[in-house]
Amino acid sequence: MNLLFVGWDHRAAPLDLRERLAFTPEKARAALDGLFQEHILSEGAIVSTCNRAEIYGMSDREDGLDALAGFFSRFHRVDDALLRRTALSGHGDATVRHLFRVAAGLDSMVLGEAQILGQIREAHRLATAAGTVRTVTNRLFMSALECGKRVRAETALGQKPTSVAGLALLLAGRIFESLRDRKVLLIGAGETAELTARLLADDGVSEILVANRSHENGEALAAAVRGRAVRWEDRARAAAAVDLVLSATNATEPVLTAGALRTALHGAPRRGPLLVLDLAVPRDVEPEVGELSDVYRYDLDSLEEMAAVNSRARAGEVPHAEAIVEESVRKFQEWWGGLLQGDVVRGLREKLESIRRAELEKHSSRLAALDPSARAAVERLTETLVAHILHDPTVGLKEGDGSERLERAAAVRALFHLDETQK
Amino acid sequence: MTAAAQLASTLGWLALVAYALSAVLYTTSLFRTAAWIGRSATAFAVLGAVCNFGTLYARSLALHTVPYRDLLGSMKLFGFFLAVLNIALEFRHRDRSLGPFLMPAALVFLLLAVVQTTPVHKDAPELKGPIFALHVTLNMLAYAAFAVACALSLLYVVVGRSLKKHAFTGPASRLPSLSYLERANRTSLSLGILSLTVGVLLGLFWASRMWRGEHPLWALDPKIWFALATLAFYVFVLVRAHRGAAPVSTARLSIAGFVLVLLSYTAVNLLVSKLHDFTS
Repeated sequence: MNLLFVGWDHRAAPLDLRERLAFTPEKARAALDGLFQEHILSEGAIVSTCNRAEIYGMSDREDGLDALAGFFSRFHRVDDALLRRTALSGHGDATVRHLFRVAAGLDSMVLGEAQILGQIREAHRLATAAGTVRTVTNRLFMSALECGKRVRAETALGQKPTSVAGLALLLAGRIFESLRDRKVLLIGAGETAELTARLLADDGVSEILVANRSHENGEALAAAVRGRAVRWEDRARAAAAVDLVLSATNATEPVLTAGALRTALHGAPRRGPLLVLDLAVPRDVEPEVGELSDVYRYDLDSLEEMAAVNSRARAGEVPHAEAIVEESVRKFQEWWGGLLQGDVVRGLREKLESIRRAELEKHSSRLAALDPSARAAVERLTETLVAHILHDPTVGLKEGDGSERLERAAAVRALFHLDETQK
Repeated sequence: MTAAAQLASTLGWLALVAYALSAVLYTTSLFRTAAWIGRSATAFAVLGAVCNFGTLYARSLALHTVPYRDLLGSMKLFGFFLAVLNIALEFRHRDRSLGPFLMPAALVFLLLAVVQTTPVHKDAPELKGPIFALHVTLNMLAYAAFAVACALSLLYVVVGRSLKKHAFTGPASRLPSLSYLERANRTSLSLGILSLTVGVLLGLFWASRMWRGEHPLWALDPKIWFALATLAFYVFVLVRAHRGAAPVSTARLSIAGFVLVLLSYTAVNLLVSKLHDFTS
């Protein structure tokens, strides 16, 4: 019985391969069913995100890892050699450590990102619903979630955003007490504008204005985010009336100039600062806009600089996070060691007892010739012999740390052929 | 020295030590994020304010009148108000960023008051009564509120500059948001204007009743005109802010206004005024 994992992540597998290996909930269910039917796994769960597709489980087979890789090659109809070349795999402690590092965000493309915790929780939920999670994988996933939460609570790994949306919200937090009741102007109606608008709407902004060269597209986005479209020519005036401007057009010339905004600001008295985020390449907002009084302008370059600073700060937290992962791995090993030790002692006792009974049975005709008190004495003698033989291994299996107990348990299993006996 | 005067002195020194520790800890908390530093800073600020109140109360027992009718007493009161406003804003907004500015100021004013041993003229019956007490208290509260507005404005300028320079790390990145600083500045200005208006009116009423024409030139005292000019300046700043002036310009004017306050409190009182020189 072995705890193992096979997976393909953003480091080893290219995006087009990861796309082919991705599991929808239905596919994950079908794959788990297939793995059980082919007796490759006795328990398991699949973690599938845009950056990784991984399966964790318990296998009775010596060739469990090979069998898993082969299964995925058939399941996804992907070249077997390519899959094996790009796969990450491991068993025992390596499996535990890998999942815990994934949950901690240490294995993510964006170090410390928190989304992975929700994805692991979803994988556990899906496998539980499919009935493929049992004692070990249940404990493994619950421990991974606990480890991920601890890392986020006790380190600053996930506290420094590096995504554009996260940085935009961080900057907004340094300028405004809250985005609630703030007004926002979106210049452009493309995907970036729409995604950010939805994020801002979730954060409770009071009004979203949309200015787009094509007024119809602007109206469509405004309707989608429950905002209001303004005419393209009025964008500077609208910018002067809001708290946050977000520009993301495909224009090749600046669409918001310092001159136009200065004039608009003079005509529109305001109480607070204005944050201008220029997410376009080439830039939509003239750099001189940042020189206007109480106007704070950031473009993609400055956001990237900010992301780099935050990445460095996050990297500084890695040793702390790794220490939490190792502590969680140790706890899991102790639990699993205890589990296996109990299993081994029971298996050993059952094996010796069956030998004792078989020998008594073999000599039953001779024993029948004895008087009842002598037969009882022989019975007690064999029982005592078994108890004495079991004593030292039982004590020895309880000594040492989790890893040592696991090793001893594995040795006893192999020496007494317990796996064959239990089958 | 009477027992009350002795108590006032002891409590003054205790308050001084507490303010000093608080100021050091608040300033350290800008650079170090350990929670105990900020909590200790707050604890010492509260202890200092309690001792500061104690020293004022003991002094009033010693003098049989308000404890701040002279310059040193008023400086103790000013330090007390700075500490109290700092604590109030900290508890209200769960933010310690004003401490590094206000507590050193409270420390300086209390230090000047405690180390001086100039005796107070005890026989000054005219410097008694609730109207005189309220006049001085409200004016000192106004000065403290303008000091808070000045600190908030300095923070606004510092945070604004760090944002303009795209500085993402360092102590400035841990300061409060611009909109909070701007809003709190307007609140402090409003409190200062209200206190100063009522304080000046009470002073005028007290003076007119006290002298009843015997001292016809009291209304020409430069201190009164300087106080009215300060009041007019702050009203102008606040109205301008409410009408949509750029917050950074409001911040700069708040800082300039506090220079007027300091002038009014020191140079005008000590060098120009005849009725507010703390010896009359």
